[in-house]
Amino acid sequence: MQKMKLFLAATATVGLMSVNAVAGNADLVKEGEKIFNTKKIGNCLACHAVNGKKINNPGNLGPKLQGLSAWPEQALYDKIYNPYTTNPISAMPPFGLNGVLDDHQIKAVVAYLKTVK
Amino acid sequence: MIGKIVKTSVAVLIGASVAYAGSFNTQAEKDRQALVKYMEKKFSDPAKNKQFFPYATPEDFKNLRKGVKFEEFRLGSYAYDKIGRAQYNDINEMPPYEDNIDAGEELYNKTKGIKQCFPDPAIAGEYPKFDDKKGKVVTLSVAIDDCLKANGQKPWKLTKGKMADLEAYFAHMSKEAGKKVHITIPSKAAAAAYERGKKNYYSQRGYLKLSCATCHVQGSGNRVRREFLSPLLGHTTHFPVYRLKWQGLGTLERRIKGCEKNQGENPHKPGGQWMSDMLYFMAYMSNGLPVDGPDIRK
Repeated sequence: MQKMKLFLAATATVGLMSVNAVAGNADLVKEGEKIFNTKKIGNCLACHAVNGKKINNPGNLGPKLQGLSAWPEQALYDKIYNPYTTNPISAMPPFGLNGVLDDHQIKAVVAYLKTVK
Repeated sequence: MIGKIVKTSVAVLIGASVAYAGSFNTQAEKDRQALVKYMEKKFSDPAKNKQFFPYATPEDFKNLRKGVKFEEFRLGSYAYDKIGRAQYNDINEMPPYEDNIDAGEELYNKTKGIKQCFPDPAIAGEYPKFDDKKGKVVTLSVAIDDCLKANGQKPWKLTKGKMADLEAYFAHMSKEAGKKVHITIPSKAAAAAYERGKKNYYSQRGYLKLSCATCHVQGSGNRVRREFLSPLLGHTTHFPVYRLKWQGLGTLERRIKGCEKNQGENPHKPGGQWMSDMLYFMAYMSNGLPVDGPDIRK
């Protein structure tokens, strides 16, 4: 019985944690989406269309973003932080390096990009 | 016989001096021709030259015109953006800058000293000029202010208002006279100013680390949001412009300030060396194109 109680408690705790994690992530995704689509913040839509997402008149200076859910989070973070490390002639601004977006904001954009099929 | 010798010597001397003057623009002329070649190739057939438009959609290629001719680059992005061109033509049926040309003509006739400084008003295509005595580039706006000051008057703002009106009259008269952009590089110091201007144009700057060329050479014909980016070739030909965004007329200096802000940089001072050098480079790139101001832009 004691074991059963412990098991139930543990299950409940784990369940609660994962619900929290999902809710937290959903908020982060939402925040990332806002940064992506807001001119005064990320303004990513100025250059990028996004596969499967409704974007209001995205530009085409950069590639249409697709399949990003398969990218490791760190790779996405690095690309936004400083795109020159992987492509020295990139026209994309280094959003982290020059402080356009802070660490939390970049993580939010990464969470959003992880939902891109 | 002696007359013949004198004539020949004079001809040789003139020829030599022309060749000598020409030598200061050797590099600039190489740059200009390369830019013209690049733009003509890029917009000869965008759908066939996809390397210049790597992320363009099929709709974009439908909207981009083929076979854009050299002279059409004075129209900026309307040289190749079909939808933009149609809207531009519509607005131009009732040009919103006509009152500005009239106001400019009045300023020309009534402002003390202006007529004496600029006896021929059809000079819009000759600026910015390198002034060897002052050792610096003088834009049309700066030349007008220098004239006002020399006549004991308060200088005007370099970006809009009276300055833009008078420049609208100069541009209009130049266009009527069929004038073309004709920027000269008369000396070693002028060539150095050109080179500084070129460096300013191609350097990545501001917190977004963009260069002017990112958008207006490589990026020309591609889109930021739904706006097709305009080309460096022809950029200075149509100023001052009436911008819908401004709901009014502005000079080249005003436009560059706005551009620098968008680029993520604190704008340089209108009339200062940095901006004037860059305008000198930009205007040289448009040499040979018809003066087409004042005009309308979004």
